[in-house]
Amino acid sequence: MRRKGSLQVFLRFAVFAVVMFVFVSPASAIPAFARKYSLRCTACHEAWPVLNDFGRAFRDNGYQLRLGRDDTVTADPGYWPVAVHITPTYLYTKTTNQLTDQGVKDIGSGGIADASIDLLMAGVLTKNISFLVVPTGFASDGNVHLESYWAYFTRVIKDSDWLNIRVGQHEIDLPASGHRTIDLTDGYLLYSYHPGVPSGSNISAYDMGENQRGVEFLGHDATDLTRYSVSVFTAHDSQGSANAWDSPSFYGHFQKYFRFKDGPVSEAEVGVFGVVANYPTQFLTSAGTPIPGSGSNLQASSRYGVEANVWIGPTVAPLHLDFVYAHGMDKKGLLLTSDGVTPADRNGTWNGGFVEAIWVPPADLLHWTLFGRYDFIRNQNQPELTAASNYNNQDQYTLGFRYTIAYSIRDEVAFHAEVSSLNVKGVGFAGLDQRTENIMLGVDFAY
Amino acid sequence: MTNRIAHNLPAIVGLLLVMSAASAAETGDVKTGKLVYERYCMSCHGDQGNGQGEAAEYMSIKPRDYRQGTYKWRSTPSGSLPLDSDLEHTLFNGLYGTYMPTWKVLDERSRRDVIAYIKTFSPRFAAEKPQAAIVIPPDPGYSDASVARGAAVYVKYNCSQCHGAGGQGDGPSAHELKDDWGNPIVPYDLTKGHVKCGDQSTDIYRVFMAGLSGTPMPTFSDSLSSADAWDLVHFIQSLSPGYAKNFAGTVANNPSGDKK
Repeated sequence: MRRKGSLQVFLRFAVFAVVMFVFVSPASAIPAFARKYSLRCTACHEAWPVLNDFGRAFRDNGYQLRLGRDDTVTADPGYWPVAVHITPTYLYTKTTNQLTDQGVKDIGSGGIADASIDLLMAGVLTKNISFLVVPTGFASDGNVHLESYWAYFTRVIKDSDWLNIRVGQHEIDLPASGHRTIDLTDGYLLYSYHPGVPSGSNISAYDMGENQRGVEFLGHDATDLTRYSVSVFTAHDSQGSANAWDSPSFYGHFQKYFRFKDGPVSEAEVGVFGVVANYPTQFLTSAGTPIPGSGSNLQASSRYGVEANVWIGPTVAPLHLDFVYAHGMDKKGLLLTSDGVTPADRNGTWNGGFVEAIWVPPADLLHWTLFGRYDFIRNQNQPELTAASNYNNQDQYTLGFRYTIAYSIRDEVAFHAEVSSLNVKGVGFAGLDQRTENIMLGVDFAY
Repeated sequence: MTNRIAHNLPAIVGLLLVMSAASAAETGDVKTGKLVYERYCMSCHGDQGNGQGEAAEYMSIKPRDYRQGTYKWRSTPSGSLPLDSDLEHTLFNGLYGTYMPTWKVLDERSRRDVIAYIKTFSPRFAAEKPQAAIVIPPDPGYSDASVARGAAVYVKYNCSQCHGAGGQGDGPSAHELKDDWGNPIVPYDLTKGHVKCGDQSTDIYRVFMAGLSGTPMPTFSDSLSSADAWDLVHFIQSLSPGYAKNFAGTVANNPSGDKK
């Protein structure tokens, strides 16, 4: 019976997909960098929004091609450094084993999701000083916030690329960007996971994938094949913190790329990364609200990991495999037990990671992208000794495709479809597993 | 599942790396080169290689039309096809002041493949071979005397007619020039601190001897001695305020290292 219902839902989505595919018209406007340099999205993005080598170097070099047409004086006067990105989406979500007044239920709902937009403002102010400002939101709740804002100083020491400095709210240099994920519904579990019994009881809300306020030091060689990044920042959403210096957190990342002149593997990469995100657990308050900058008794969430990327086939149309594996630890000072009062028994430790595959089939004009990912979390030491060893273990599968209907030096519009499934051990009612499934169909466009 | 992946990961990566060294190809792959072209080049140079991509109409310096096999930047004599290394040089360095970026961050394989594909736009590459590269004698060295002699050469060969007396690309004929495709073309401003075809002194020398095919810039190989050519190189370098920084190849021969 359930299988029959799922089939009906699938068929409805399939019809919807065909309709969208046939009738969507390309948007016509001007994406900032594409217009500025007359390059299509494909120049910088292996598969939008994942950067390729050229795009990574362009970003690391402060959005400069360094051929005399970068800054506001030498660029064509028509260049206006603003682009818009939005994804109208049909989203169906079902979550199992939820407690309601009518008993334990599986709840599913679908419809056109409330969309928000990204205003992407970025460019070069003057030689070797660039900027990015991203107001985001504008959804039905009326909220707008600055997702990102920074100034970036490149080649700080003479003409060396080995020291560039970014100041402001920025995305730390993750193995795979949390803001440029190929999928649009689920983030990387590794970045946001915190141990806790019950799930969600951890004081720390630090999310590696979120932008952090602080300073980044970044360097690389001439072709951007060896690179490092070190960020000092205030952990996202930490109460009692004011800036990167009163409750400092640290992130480091080193990458080395290898290229092969012949053979099926065109490129490979290995890297290491680590972060210590400190959260104040005590602070002065005013009317019960923590006073910014007054935090103390810092407690750390740390993650250390390795990564490897392999590009099989030509880099222009590769099968790109990304492996990331990390060990995480949250200090017990961040954790309380089930009663919400008693401190946890011990630090919470876990291992997690993901395997992601992105394939751009070598077909004319590179319209297609197929992708899939498996994320996992495995708890090692539960903070509460009595908790089941596999409590809050997570497995997430994502599968999808993207068809670029049109791309130009002005815009890109793509049909995007994906399904995902997240299973979390023991967090449902009465210790049952909880599974969340998403089906998403969207039109993703930027101009 | 997790343990299995972790356990086999080194073996998988190792196998792929070994496979990568298993074969060798000396020339680029046209089929892959077409994909490289579509990803990076087509928006300017067009899907037919005719220089009429979607971006071309917005550009004051038009993208190259590949169909004639006529290339500005060559190491070969005027009229000859370029060598693959010439095309690689342009891809690697870009063309300063134009929309042609440097593609040095691309892997060598992609550059090799796209060169193979670009050559398919012109039947000349199948019918004839490029001539040998022009031999460039060693740079005798930058000096005040050489710059002075170069200034005289600049006058003798009437370079100012197009490039202007001060080298700023504002000579009397500057606004009348057209390329072989009928597009207006302006002489290069030699005071910019960079030269389009490359910042090495040999890059400038090569332009005098090979010319810039498809443009009004002729070859002077029949009339210009190598000594005069080097003096002219040094004079042109002296026009640039960025000389000391950008013309590193010659600075080594210049004891003072100062702009003259």
